[in-house]
Amino acid sequence: MTILLTILIMGLGSYAMRAVFILLLSNHSFPPWALKALEYVGPAVMAALVMTMLLSPEGGQAPRVYEWAGLATAAVVALLTRNHIYVLTLAMAVYWGLGYLLG
Amino acid sequence: MSNPASPNTNYGRRGFLDALVLVIPAIPFALVFGLAVRESGIAIWLGWSSSPIMFSGAAQITLITLLGEGASVAAAATAALVVGARHLFYSFSMAPVMQRQPPWFRWFAPYMLVDQVFALCVGKQDLPAADFRRYYLAAGMTFWLFWMTFTALGLFVGPVLPTGLDITFATPVLFMGLLVTTIDSWQKALVAVFAMLVTFLLAEMPSRSGLLIAALAGLILGLLLERFRR
Repeated sequence: MTILLTILIMGLGSYAMRAVFILLLSNHSFPPWALKALEYVGPAVMAALVMTMLLSPEGGQAPRVYEWAGLATAAVVALLTRNHIYVLTLAMAVYWGLGYLLG
Repeated sequence: MSNPASPNTNYGRRGFLDALVLVIPAIPFALVFGLAVRESGIAIWLGWSSSPIMFSGAAQITLITLLGEGASVAAAATAALVVGARHLFYSFSMAPVMQRQPPWFRWFAPYMLVDQVFALCVGKQDLPAADFRRYYLAAGMTFWLFWMTFTALGLFVGPVLPTGLDITFATPVLFMGLLVTTIDSWQKALVAVFAMLVTFLLAEMPSRSGLLIAALAGLILGLLLERFRR
């Protein structure tokens, strides 16, 4: 019972965090500088998220060489081609290939 | 994520296909969640009910694991909230594009605003409102269906995880690709690199809270760089 209640409250919290600005700011007009600022949210939070995925959940363990290499490949291929199929194929090839070679 | 956009692109179909590419590397994660429910000792369907109720992978795993380990409800809930707090940034970022949407969508869309849906849609904000909505709905519902099905499957097939080829790395790879496509100035590139660096330096912080500080630090740097430009 406690657990169900906890999950329900967490569900509300989860929704609230995703909805809060979308609903509260739905009738506000954004000044130009705020719109500019919002453009940085995507790059900043996604970059932080990518790095978080590479770090072990317990912290401490740094990403391995082939993980850095795979990520760098993804960035370069995305920059050059803007094609995510190429990004996926080449970056995973580098990641698996180097991972295999380096053990 | 398929590239060329012709004038009569079907954005519903495209959202579905783009989400599908992100679904595949997330499969092990969904199965691991099922396994975490089993190991927690919580009744399996009760544990699974967090999938439709919370729809927030990492926060669900945090909550269920900590509850299973006997942590207090308050401690488990706090940790899960911190893990999920990055969604505040998504909500903020999506606020302007949602202004052009009908109210029902503004209320419904946040429920589906998971990492993958944000990553796919953040670069689609210049689409016409109806196309954006179709794309978002298709991507969101695809991911929702996947998460419900595979977290349930994980309750039963948890231990049968593929160990040979590690496909989970495809998620950061695809996110990196999506990140790069949102960058159209050196300022944004610098912000992204800076946010990664800060996250890396704060790796020891509990419950992914380093991510929040790094995202905020990146945002502040972006604002400073904007000021410089003028």
